[in-house]
Amino acid sequence: MKETRLKILQYITGIGLFFFAGTHLIVSHLSSGEPTTWESVSGRAASAGWLTLYLLLLIFGLYHGLHGLRTIILEFSFPNYAVRVLDWALVVIGIAIFGYAAYIPISAF
Amino acid sequence: MQELTFKVQRYTPGQDKEPYLQEFTIPFTEGMTVLDCLIYIKEKVDNTLSFRSSCRMGICGSCGVLVNNFPMLACHTPVEELQTDRIEVRSLPNFPIIRDLVASLDLLFEKHKSIKPYIISSDIREAEEPTAEYVQSREELESYVQFAYCVKCGLCMAACPTVATDALFLGPQPLGQVYRYCTDRRDMGAKERFHEVDSPHGVWLCHLAGACSEACPKGVDPALAIQLLKRAMVFDSMRLAKKRQPVTLAHLPVESKPKIEVPEFTVK
Repeated sequence: MKETRLKILQYITGIGLFFFAGTHLIVSHLSSGEPTTWESVSGRAASAGWLTLYLLLLIFGLYHGLHGLRTIILEFSFPNYAVRVLDWALVVIGIAIFGYAAYIPISAF
Repeated sequence: MQELTFKVQRYTPGQDKEPYLQEFTIPFTEGMTVLDCLIYIKEKVDNTLSFRSSCRMGICGSCGVLVNNFPMLACHTPVEELQTDRIEVRSLPNFPIIRDLVASLDLLFEKHKSIKPYIISSDIREAEEPTAEYVQSREELESYVQFAYCVKCGLCMAACPTVATDALFLGPQPLGQVYRYCTDRRDMGAKERFHEVDSPHGVWLCHLAGACSEACPKGVDPALAIQLLKRAMVFDSMRLAKKRQPVTLAHLPVESKPKIEVPEFTVK
């Protein structure tokens, strides 16, 4: 049930993105106060809760986006060996982006 | 409408470089179907025209063609319904052309065979040498009977935009039949079929365009079957699917009804 499990993860990350990105949007853009001032941003960067939320947002967003990209690419008749190459390429791209993007909030923590 | 202008696709492999349209003008008679028109052209105008047909009543699924850019059964399409006197007929897209309007459905049948379109019984001995009948409630029958009306005409496959881009995609007909057999309580082959369709070119490549259900002449609604199949596979993967009880057998009465006496022959 490989493809089904990948799809279930796609659904779970979609629901997760709704909440994590929603929280980010509400706090950073819609709430009253000054969420974009240096004090507010550095305060959130020093918070373990916010760090966790942003890392989860990153993981969920990366998986959801890369799996969506894979679905679009698969619409063109790829033989099975090419699908395996594509899968590994997306895993490598995902890990590279995660490593780079996670480095910034982790180093700021 | 006094006359109909038909543009019919012609193509002979090895002779023509690519398909082209040939125009015919034929008299209109009330109640004519597209198939009647093609038969008229073949009998009265050009007997080299090739098309496939058999039952002429929407049962065999042989006469699937593309009529004014929509896949239809020619025998099931009255000309009046098209509301135009200019009709373009081509062979079904997403299938190779054998000649003129005859498409090769080999790919459809190969994909259909790959999903094991038959009842897989847990009791092989009972399946091969039945001693009783399977009991099936009305509800159990209704859960799959709509999907059992498929005549394998290939219209859904011709309409599917995903089959058009990915020839390896199983397509609406085989996927719909996977659900049809897996829902049947007599069948115990769901795991085998789920494994078959859980591939990069399997069930999850369907984007629910719904063109298959719109094209189906028998009201099978393959798009619904595929959505229900996806749900069943998610439940099965998450181990949330209800365990299916083996189907019960109803033994036939030992004493048969008294035989009706055969009347004597009137001519001796």
